[in-house]
Order: sequence, then C-alpha cells, then structure tokens
Amino acid sequence: MHVLIVFIEILVLFAVVMLHVAYATYFERKIIGHMQVRLGPMQQGWHGLLQPIADGIKSFFKEDIVPAQADVLPFRAAPIICLTAMMAALAVLPFASGWVLADINIGLLFIFAMSSLASYGVILAGWATNSKYTFLGGLRSMAQVVSYEISFGLSLVGVMMLSGSLNLSKIVEAQGSSFGGMYLFPQIIAFFVFCVAMLAETNRVPFDLPEAETELVSGYCTEYSGMRYAMFFMAEYIGMMVMASIGTICFLGGWNGPFEVAFFPPFWFVFKIYIFMFVFIWIRATMPRYRYDQLMDIGWKLLIPLSLVNIVLTGIVKAFVG
Amino acid sequence: MQIQYKPKRNLLQTILHVELLQGMALTLRTLFSKPITRQYPEERPDVQLGFRGQHALVRDEETGASKCVACMRCVTVCPSRCIRIRFHEDEDTSARVVDSYDIEALRCVYCGFCEEVCPVNALILTEVFEYSGFQREDIFFDQEALLDNWDKFAESKGGKIGSYVNPFWRPRGMNADKLTAAKRIDVPDEWTIEGQVVGKNFKAKGTE
Repeated sequence: MHVLIVFIEILVLFAVVMLHVAYATYFERKIIGHMQVRLGPMQQGWHGLLQPIADGIKSFFKEDIVPAQADVLPFRAAPIICLTAMMAALAVLPFASGWVLADINIGLLFIFAMSSLASYGVILAGWATNSKYTFLGGLRSMAQVVSYEISFGLSLVGVMMLSGSLNLSKIVEAQGSSFGGMYLFPQIIAFFVFCVAMLAETNRVPFDLPEAETELVSGYCTEYSGMRYAMFFMAEYIGMMVMASIGTICFLGGWNGPFEVAFFPPFWFVFKIYIFMFVFIWIRATMPRYRYDQLMDIGWKLLIPLSLVNIVLTGIVKAFVG
Repeated sequence: MQIQYKPKRNLLQTILHVELLQGMALTLRTLFSKPITRQYPEERPDVQLGFRGQHALVRDEETGASKCVACMRCVTVCPSRCIRIRFHEDEDTSARVVDSYDIEALRCVYCGFCEEVCPVNALILTEVFEYSGFQREDIFFDQEALLDNWDKFAESKGGKIGSYVNPFWRPRGMNADKLTAAKRIDVPDEWTIEGQVVGKNFKAKGTE
C-alpha cells in the first residue's frame, strides 16, 4: 500500500514537472521574444499557448537518426542518463513542509551527485556520436563541470555549516520563517558564487559552451534528433528547475513566505522557482557567451577562492558568535 | 565621427558588475515595450504611395487595349534590360503598333524608371507584392498577362482606378510644363518645392 502511494506521488510529480518543462520552453521563447521586441510563438492556440504541446508531438514523430559511425549503445544511453539523473534529483526536493518524496539526510549531496551524473550523459553523447562538433562539445562540458562543480559545492558548504545539516527540509527549517532568517544575507558571497556556478552547471548562457550554436552547431546534441534530442532538452530544463530549487532552499528560505497560503503550501517555493527561472531566461536574453579561457579563469581564479574565503569567514563568525 | 569609449569603472563598479546590470535593465525595459512584429498573413502592411510592386499595362477604358505607343523609352531606360517591345508602323497612319510587349519580371530590379519615363502612363508598378509561380514562365509577363495584372489590380482597388495615379510616376525635379499631358498630375503641396516634385521627406528636411 505504501509503495502504491509513493508510486502515485511519483507520477503526480512527474506530470507536474513535465508540464513545467513544456511551459518553461514556451515562456523562454515568449520572454526572449519580447525582450528582442518580437512576439515569440503566436500561431498555435491563443498567443501560442499550445506551442509546447505541438513541439512535443512533433519530436515524438520525428525520425530517430543514429549516425553510421556512432557507437550505438552509449549514443542511445546518453540522453537517458541525462534525463534520469536529473529526474532522480527531483525526488529529494521539499516543495513544502512534508511535501517530499524521499526525505533523506544527504539530500544536498544526492543532488550534487545527480547533477554530476547528468554531465556524464553530455560527455558520453559527445564522444559516442563520433563527430567533431559533438566531441568538442563533450570535451568542453567535461572541463566546465570539473571546474564549476568544485565552486558549486564549496559555495553551499557555508549553508551546511550554518544549518548543520544536509537534509534539505532541515536547511529550510533552520532558516525560520522570518525575512532576515534567509541565508541570503549571511551567505551573500556564497549566493553570488552559487548563481554563477549554477548557470555553468546547467550549461546556460553565458556559459553555454558545450552547445555553443555559433561555433559548434549545437554542441553535444548536434547529431541527435527527435525524441532523443527532446530528452536532452528536458534534462536541461529539469536541471534548471533543480538548480533553482537548491537556490530557493539554501538561500531564499524554501517554502516560507510573508504569509501562509491556504490549500497550497508550496506556493512560495514555486513562486521563488519561477523568479529564478525568469532570471535564467533574462540572463540568456542579455549576455553574450564567455570565451573558453575566460570561463576557466572565472572558475578557478575567482569563484573557487571566493567560496573558500566564504567558508573561512563563516567558520570564524560561527566560532565566535554561534 | 567621435568614437565613444566606455567610461572607466572604479573598484566598486567593477565588483558590482554595473555594466551587466545596465544590460539587464535594458532587456527588462524592452520586455515591456511594444513588439514591432507584424503578423503578416493576418495583418497586412500599409502600402505606401509610390510602392513598386507587380508590373501592369494600364488598360485604356476607351479602346480596351494598352495605352503603349511604343516609344521605346522604357526599354532604353531599364537598367536590367528586362523589357522587350516589338512594333511595326502602320502603313496608312505611320503610327507605331505594338506587336509584343514582354517583361521578364525575374530580372526586374523594381527601380521604377520605366513608369517615370513613360509619356502616357501606360506602364505602372502596382501595389501587388504577392505573386509567385512554379515555373519561370509564370513570372514572365507578355502583353496579355500585363493587361490582366492591371484588371486584377483594378478589381482589388474597387474599380475607382481612374484616379490611381501618383506623383511618383513622373520624373523628379521637372517642371510640369516640360511633361507630357498624361504626366501632369496634381501633386500635393507637401511634395513640391517651387513647382517641382521633390518628395515629402526631402521637403521636410529642406524647410527645417
């Protein structure tokens, strides 16, 4: 009986997240369109509201092409690895008090592990396709993940030190429901590092070097088509949502807000995620792409020292005050 | 032209990434500005006076044929040489009679010189801009096709086509008394300086 309930919960979460992924693509196109003084999708449904559904149907029925020289098994496995790893990360997110699929004590660590696993999918895709563009995309992804995973992890160490837990629900509870209790204020350096590393981890502009359209056609997913390409796409958007959730949980006080919303406890959590997603899209519409060496410079010379400094400062303050 | 270098930043501005924030503010402003997109098939563009679209030979309301007198001016002036006229002289009246009038519209650059130079307003460029074909021959207009273009255009304008003449059909900067009778079109005052057609924009600039 318990298994059945969990199964139903998983299905509901899956459906809700997939709907969000679909409409995240819609709002991304809409917002970027309006920021570029265009309209974005307008034809399917009222103001193009059915566009993501049309896109989904289209990608289902597109021809599934496997290049002749590709290594078939990793080529087929790569998008699945990407998507499942990102989906698995959703399990530990607390959407509201008690609204969590797996309330495990290593939640934060689990998310780190899963988001790194997802980049294995990218690297495998780049390698297995046997094409120069995908190979370069995969190579870049590897280097990017290695350098940004460190600062990403280190930036959250301060949060772990303050809350004394890796359990995401405990981290939210440790911040309390007051505005000043958010870890955004004591951990402002960590928040900055987190934001930059978050963009790099999800391969978003200005760090979208693995899929740099102008140089690498489409990077690691150049040779993918139809449903497999859509799976990479879903993985990217779920990745954005997972990162936004971590940001919300660790820095913005999770599901706590100015007032309680009856009947829908995750209101503030979802609201904060939407703000994060909007900022993702906003940045994409504004920033140009970093050069590869600049990306490495920022990662190793700026973000890692900054996050280390933040850990030391947090430790000192905690030793004297807390 | 003076090149505007970017101003120097101080340390605080460097730390706070002021330029990035300025860029973000700009995109946020344009998010709420009105998009300039025109939803084309539903929302059609306003065709301005002087638009140069599909070619047509004006059908004379009295004779039912083209007004062309085979003066060959359009053939001479055409920079892409896409007009070809064959004619013979009538034995009795020694008037020129057009045998064939062909425009290879694929070669046309839509400069509008032909309609400017035509002394009888026989050849015009209509406001029609949507025409295409599956073969090149479909966009090769002979005399019948050109007259047909005119009929279709006249129909689309609702029959009030006798007044479809506009100041762009006459050569610029020429006094009206130097023009043939058909070219002496009343031009709105805002288009002319000292009796010469110069265009609205030029006049607006000239009087500033």
